[in-house]
Amino acid sequence: MKKIGFTTSIPVEIIYAAKMVPVDLNNIFVTAKSPEKYVENAEAAGFPRSTCAWIKGIYSSVLDCTDIDTIISVVEGDCSNTRALAEVLELKGIRCIPFSYPNSKSYNNLESEILKLLEHFKVDSMDECLKVKQKLDQIRKKLGYLDELTWKYNKATGFENHLWQVSSSDFNGDYITFEKELDDIINEIESRNEKKRKVRIGYMGVPPIYSDMYDFLEEVGAGVVYNEVQRQFTMVDSIGTADLVQTYCNFTYPYSLNGRLEDIKKQIELRDIDALIHYTQSFCFRGIEDIVIRKEIDVPILTLEGDKPGKLDARTRLRIESFIDMIS
Amino acid sequence: MSVLGIDIGSRAVKLVLMENNNIMRTDTYDTYDFYTKYCENIDRKIRLDLDKLEIENVKHFVSTGYGRNNVNIKDADVILELKAHVFGALWQTGIDSFTLLDVGGQDSKVISVNNKKIKDMVLNDKCAASCGRYLENMAKIIGLEISQMENHFENPVELSSTCAVFAESELIGKISEGFSVGALAAGINYSLYKRIKPLVERFPSDTLVVTGGVAMNKAFIKLLKENMVFNEIIVPKNPQLNGAIGCCAYKESVR
Repeated sequence: MKKIGFTTSIPVEIIYAAKMVPVDLNNIFVTAKSPEKYVENAEAAGFPRSTCAWIKGIYSSVLDCTDIDTIISVVEGDCSNTRALAEVLELKGIRCIPFSYPNSKSYNNLESEILKLLEHFKVDSMDECLKVKQKLDQIRKKLGYLDELTWKYNKATGFENHLWQVSSSDFNGDYITFEKELDDIINEIESRNEKKRKVRIGYMGVPPIYSDMYDFLEEVGAGVVYNEVQRQFTMVDSIGTADLVQTYCNFTYPYSLNGRLEDIKKQIELRDIDALIHYTQSFCFRGIEDIVIRKEIDVPILTLEGDKPGKLDARTRLRIESFIDMIS
Repeated sequence: MSVLGIDIGSRAVKLVLMENNNIMRTDTYDTYDFYTKYCENIDRKIRLDLDKLEIENVKHFVSTGYGRNNVNIKDADVILELKAHVFGALWQTGIDSFTLLDVGGQDSKVISVNNKKIKDMVLNDKCAASCGRYLENMAKIIGLEISQMENHFENPVELSSTCAVFAESELIGKISEGFSVGALAAGINYSLYKRIKPLVERFPSDTLVVTGGVAMNKAFIKLLKENMVFNEIIVPKNPQLNGAIGCCAYKESVR
């Protein structure tokens, strides 16, 4: 089956309805054997050092995947660097289909974007996608339960919570296998004893580029009980909504910060969160949003800025340790 | 009760011996010398050679330093560096709420302290251009000892580079333009101040307490006093020993 890459969460139902395999390129990059090589390769190709590592990693990942010749580039609602990324990839013969989450969050505009994808992938009707959505919603319910196993029952780790939810952007390209593996892990987690967490951390922002952040937090007595964007990727708030456009209007990540903040505030309350970690990627516009976030959120916030893939550096470890020590 | 506080910094190791809340003795060693001459490494734990250090009758050891895993001294309580500095500043000043600026050899940190508790903190950017090592390297280029830097704050040359290494090239350019040593040294002090200012501004309060080796640079303190809006800026009696004092004060507080 043909693989279709994409640069951030898109209505994945369309790709499955087209009988194709969705591939979240971020996951390919960050789970690669040596993701730092991908960044180096992109810099060697001319990407400025002062651009986001995710963009550079995606570039090299696509070129490295011999079985991906088409990608959906999300040019509005995510990172504007994606426009230039698409232009460079096209030079290399990769077909890039632009997709936009309209800044206005207008239902009609988003509908027309989704219909363009339907047409491109020759999916007959929205109903085809909704049939897929029904199946995916069953899995999303289970992801919602795994999330509860993290914050309500204190059994799943912050990393498991991150990994399973973030993977729902493409369900690892095969939702049937994904569901089976998810069932297994849920069974295993259910049998565990409740974890004692000295500090309950909420994580907001794009997924971290660090490979050991969640483990390190657990090591210093803090557990992540909320992963904001990863949870949004599961579309859990739209389970049962028989409307694909509305589902992706409810998805907070690509729209205004205010929508995200409303969601985060609700979850802080619900999950009894002591403090937040706001992760931003070096050179990303979201670093500026930190100013607003600090004004709007009442719990203590530690802002981490990650650049290259790999383990936490000594300074970031010190900052995390001090922050946890401060709020304990 | 006797406590030995050990602060292992990137440039210097500071020891403070405290008995019943009084400082009995202080020592400062070069970090390299300290590790090689006064310590043994056994199973990844550091054992102090107390005979060589001429220290006896110590009941408790408390250590701190950059990243607590690097200061794994046998039989010592290890506390985080930020905590040690806050305890040190509380002990040295007797004030409960303040902004603490610590400029060490390889990092600088600003901590907001409210009612004896850390409320928030920020560390310098990844580059070493806002710490003591920067001053040291730059002083060397113009032929001054670090201790001679403190006299210069007037007519600073402009050093605009944000990178410690590029700033060295910039400084060499200024030397070739014929500026006086005083103007060059003032420019170095001013460039350090400029990098630290935005960090300190994050936490306005009545009092700024400045610690770390760089607090002994009078020109730097003068720049802070002239340009920042704190009611008072305090340099405690032993700014460089603040972390080691904090180790002792911590132990006293949890007794």
